[in-house]
Amino acid sequence: MADSGDLQLFRYPQSKFVDAVRWLHPVSAFDRFIATAVHDTDDASSAVEIHSLSFSPESRNPNKPLLHLRSNWPSPSRISALRTSETHQKHVVAAVSTFAGSVHFLFVDPVDVSIDLELSNDECQPMHNGPVSAVDLQSGGHECVSVGEDGRVNLVSVGEGRLDSQQLHDNRGLISYTAVRWGSQAEFATGGFGFGLQWWDKRKPGGLVSQFKGNWDQKNTTGIVHSIDIHPSRKHISVVGGSSGTVFAWDLRWQQQPILLSGVSLSGTGRSTCESEIWEIQYDIHAQTSSISSTSSTKILPVMACSEDGILAVIEQGKPHTELLAEDCAINSFNIDPQNPADVVCALEWESIGILMRAKESASVY
Amino acid sequence: MPGRLMEPDGALIPFSTEVDVPLYNIQHGVKLPIFRIFVSWSRSNLLQVACIRPFEDDFNNEEDTGTSDGGDLGGKVVEVKLGASDPQISEAQRRRIAYGSVSPFAFLQGRKNALAMMSRMSSSSFGDWWQHVLEYSRSILELLENTNPPSRSVIEDPRIVLKLVNKPTGLKAAWQLMEMFYVDKHSLTWLPEQLVDWVAEYDCILSETEVTVHSKLFKLQEKLVNLQVIEDDPEYWEALSSALTVGWLDAVVKLLRLHGSYQLNQMDSRETENGLVEAVAVLVSTMPRLRHDLPAGKLGQCYKTKPDFIKAWEKWRGQITKLDCSAFWVHCGHRQTREGLRNLLQIMLGNMNNISNASFHWMELFVSHFLYIKPLTMSFEEMHRLAQKCLQLKSSSLSNGLTRLIVGALGENIEVVIAECSKSFGPWYGMKCILLMITHALELLAADSNQNEILFSERYNLGGISIVELHRIVYAQVLFSHSLTSQIAPTYLASCPKQGLGLLEISLSRQPVQNYTLILKDLEICRLYELDKICSFVKKITGMHQWKHGRKGSGIYWFQKAGDESRLNQIAQQLFECIGSSNTNETFKQWEGLIELLGPDVGTAGGLGFLHRYRDFKNSLRHVQYGRATDTARHSVELLIQLLKSPSTPQLLWLPLLHDSVKLLNWKDRPLLNAAETNLLLSKLQELSMLQLLPDSPQLDLPPLELASIRLALATNLSRAFLEE
Repeated sequence: MADSGDLQLFRYPQSKFVDAVRWLHPVSAFDRFIATAVHDTDDASSAVEIHSLSFSPESRNPNKPLLHLRSNWPSPSRISALRTSETHQKHVVAAVSTFAGSVHFLFVDPVDVSIDLELSNDECQPMHNGPVSAVDLQSGGHECVSVGEDGRVNLVSVGEGRLDSQQLHDNRGLISYTAVRWGSQAEFATGGFGFGLQWWDKRKPGGLVSQFKGNWDQKNTTGIVHSIDIHPSRKHISVVGGSSGTVFAWDLRWQQQPILLSGVSLSGTGRSTCESEIWEIQYDIHAQTSSISSTSSTKILPVMACSEDGILAVIEQGKPHTELLAEDCAINSFNIDPQNPADVVCALEWESIGILMRAKESASVY
Repeated sequence: MPGRLMEPDGALIPFSTEVDVPLYNIQHGVKLPIFRIFVSWSRSNLLQVACIRPFEDDFNNEEDTGTSDGGDLGGKVVEVKLGASDPQISEAQRRRIAYGSVSPFAFLQGRKNALAMMSRMSSSSFGDWWQHVLEYSRSILELLENTNPPSRSVIEDPRIVLKLVNKPTGLKAAWQLMEMFYVDKHSLTWLPEQLVDWVAEYDCILSETEVTVHSKLFKLQEKLVNLQVIEDDPEYWEALSSALTVGWLDAVVKLLRLHGSYQLNQMDSRETENGLVEAVAVLVSTMPRLRHDLPAGKLGQCYKTKPDFIKAWEKWRGQITKLDCSAFWVHCGHRQTREGLRNLLQIMLGNMNNISNASFHWMELFVSHFLYIKPLTMSFEEMHRLAQKCLQLKSSSLSNGLTRLIVGALGENIEVVIAECSKSFGPWYGMKCILLMITHALELLAADSNQNEILFSERYNLGGISIVELHRIVYAQVLFSHSLTSQIAPTYLASCPKQGLGLLEISLSRQPVQNYTLILKDLEICRLYELDKICSFVKKITGMHQWKHGRKGSGIYWFQKAGDESRLNQIAQQLFECIGSSNTNETFKQWEGLIELLGPDVGTAGGLGFLHRYRDFKNSLRHVQYGRATDTARHSVELLIQLLKSPSTPQLLWLPLLHDSVKLLNWKDRPLLNAAETNLLLSKLQELSMLQLLPDSPQLDLPPLELASIRLALATNLSRAFLEE
């Protein structure tokens, strides 16, 4: 299963569709855990599963880490998004949103990864009318923002024995949101159809601070934002991944001039990694470690993106893309391990989890 | 009562009970009569059956049928699981095979097309095509393997004659047979030895219930631990002869070396006996075999060419005969050993009776012929005859799919092979697996150029498509029936020249549209195969779904992407009807948002252009309310005149516009509209009143009081305008 040179991909068939994957932040450096949102089509059940990753010298391929299922939380409905946060009050928190419009917080013991507590919102008052498209958890793990196709933006926080939610905005389905990401303790960015982006501040009445209507997508192609990432050191820049292989950066300082990193713009220029949907994007902290201090603040840091046509690539401004993986099936989700940025876990369309290990020291290659 | 459709009175569709069809009893619990049944696929191999009773009203009219005694239900949906739960291959494993087999298939098709292009240009033949297919076949074979690797023990136990491995799957067995017969051109020269190897690997699955050599040895191995004097046990000798007939030389030698005479304390007293056992063991291990190579650890001597082999064979046979006639047998005191060893010698000499007694399944008897009776390659015809004979001799062994597959292949009847594949693997693996198997197996069959004609010729009775295409289409349909595998079905449809794309279009337009990520995946397929029509069709359906579920923004977005102007116009129409009627701040915000969504290029979307102007007009009118600036009021007037002059503004909007204009007409400072403009408004008002009188006009709701007040305002303004001028 080893790929060329410094890259190694290990596949773990799950017999269930993997909707999302995340690394869990452990307390000790020796433990590594992965949370996955799975959907079993045989009995139409969904769950969050937590696996531990370990190396065993006795196994056939000693380089291949072993994946063990450690705990499991059955979800009432199919999971649409999964986010994890750093340790918060002796727990690792995972936020889960479902197609039924509910949001759940799971409090996971960071040592033996048992699920200690599960909180959900009041069942009588669903927060969203229809599926929740995305959630994002604050780094502390006590607050989360959820957006849906129904046009609602909700802030969810931990209350007494349940989750409290506060509706920040409701446009009654006029604008559907498909992605969300916190930028700071109070600000976050959302994205939706037609490459539309919004910047919110929860302290302001109504919340909406500024917005961008990216109407540059062509007539025949769809232009939907699937994923947003914001670097903690550059809060004014949101990198966005969406339909037709589009990856661009939206700088709050020059709001109407997005910087296209990949994809085809109206003028026909721009480099394209692929033409299909970019399902998820994330700043590649592994590639940055060497370059972050030297680059100027206007330069967009390298980002990693996964796509429907099975490509996982690192995209850097003004440079040819580095293709890490070219799979036969779609890569629906991925996550870079915050502790070991060389390692990436991804969800493959063909019911399996893939773990990609890059060479640790050769960060300067990218 | 269980829904026994067999009963003539309960049968909905008449069918004859003579035909052997699988029957499923449905416990629907709905009172008869049932007047309608809906059947639809659910997830995996579940079928949803909805049984609906007639309406209660109609029902009560019939006096003799009882009413509501428990059977209150108007109907019920029952889930039926088709196909018995698969003992060997689970649904998830089947999907894994389906996923894994896509890439080799696509790769092979790509190569085929490339080769076809090349041969058209340079007229080179498909000479080594089979090697590509062999490569493909090996990658599929790897998939069919049971996933767990066999556990290896470091210390070799002399008592373990049979390596315990995971039971191989029948699918793999069948696949290997096909590869042997149709793909691997090298193997055809040593087909008999290939069959021997095949039996060695798959003997354990030849029969579930009956004795096979494998089960015999397996039983003996369990006993070995407790046996003290092994050579006294008749089973030991039976197992030995059985293992020898099918050519498991290493097992035979291993077992022989367990013979009691090898034990140190008995060496002296049983010297002759031990000599004989060892002589047989040596003869067994030096048996000449006509084959390319012997895998490491296998016994026998390998000869690649026929003359070499014949020479060695003659010599070996001579040694056996010599030993058989030797005088040492008289000195062998142990009767069982004497008889057992001579039996082994007879088997090696090709004595039909001894071989027949030692073998169980017909395949075992069949391969023993190649080993001991006719070791030189036979023609297919001879093999076929031999197979028939063995089948007769071992008539007790049930004929299963593998049996028929071999006989069909030997009979060189490819249609039988295909039919057998599809028919006989049914009870073993469930329908989906067979289809998977066959679709791919046809690739193997097609490697044999003699069969191409049969496989690829278009047939009238199949609706003008070839056998290969038929199976690919059926397989693709099965893949489409499951949400997870539907993504890979297009690969197969794309290689169907006649009906592939058509079916792809139909299947894609029937995919569920609830989840937008799934829609995007489907649209991606449309893009890859350039199905623009289906693409916009899917977008339209999605738009409709979103609109109906209150997600107006994304609904409009999808309609715009689909270029669905008629629906966008309908939406605009709806918008007005609600704007024209109510005018609260809240709804204004709502429709303002909608207009925003409809975008700046609404000109392309028919009559939506005026909506923007209307919004602007409404906006400026609101400013007029707050401020008293004449300039803004004058701006509103301009917008109003533009709106009324534009032919795209529907008549429905005229009255609300005129109504709004009253405020401007009654502007205190000075008349805002000049005489010409006022006349335009007047003529519109006139037109509206005239319309009302026409018999086939749309019914406009024109309250007379309102009309009168507008008329009055207009008249006043006209007079003021005259005075001004």
